[in-house]
Amino acid sequence: MDSKKILIVDDNADIRLGMHLRLKANQYETFFAADAFAAVAEARKHRPDLVILDLGLPAGDGFTVMERLKQVPFLAVIPVIVVSARDGLGNQKRAHEAGAKAFLQKPVNDAELLAVIRQALGEPAGTKKPTLYDQGSV
Amino acid sequence: MTEPARRSSELTAYLSHELRNALACIHQFGNILVDGLAGEMSGEQREYVHIMLENASKIRKVLDSTLDGTPDPIEESNEQNRRVSKLET
Repeated sequence: MDSKKILIVDDNADIRLGMHLRLKANQYETFFAADAFAAVAEARKHRPDLVILDLGLPAGDGFTVMERLKQVPFLAVIPVIVVSARDGLGNQKRAHEAGAKAFLQKPVNDAELLAVIRQALGEPAGTKKPTLYDQGSV
Repeated sequence: MTEPARRSSELTAYLSHELRNALACIHQFGNILVDGLAGEMSGEQREYVHIMLENASKIRKVLDSTLDGTPDPIEESNEQNRRVSKLET
């Protein structure tokens, strides 16, 4: 069975690498974009099964990306999970209104992120045990 | 909102954003090491990464309870205890 494809959109290269390592270890194929313009271009190119989207991005924020994805029928159906360092008070509601499946505030809990991804992709719950710090958590 | 209040709010949002991104990296790569995704570690190495992650966790709690305005659970519990004591007296 082919791996599910996930597009990671974040302007922080370290965050992209960390997510890639975690997702690769869970048998996902990853692609990357560092700004809002590249996010839509990479989505068109790779047609991912899911997008992990930061909000604070160069060339337009994450909300702009969601708007642009919605304008293209084959991209509009891709589930989006927002992972942002912005406060959750207003942004969480706004992200859901924009169509995001979930809003997670950085630093994210790895087990929670994987559970949200599996849910968004319609996959069965994983068997990975959360680490000590997933329960605390950093 | 007054100008000083607006600037203070912007500074708080900026600090929260930057600290959360830095913490996210510490968290991600600490867990990557602990989970052996970058190779196996010795017991001593694992212990040191645990210490690093535990301290990152403390920073996050401070961040949640200060910059983001989320009530500190310990302080909240103390406040509840003070209220109960007050009712009892």
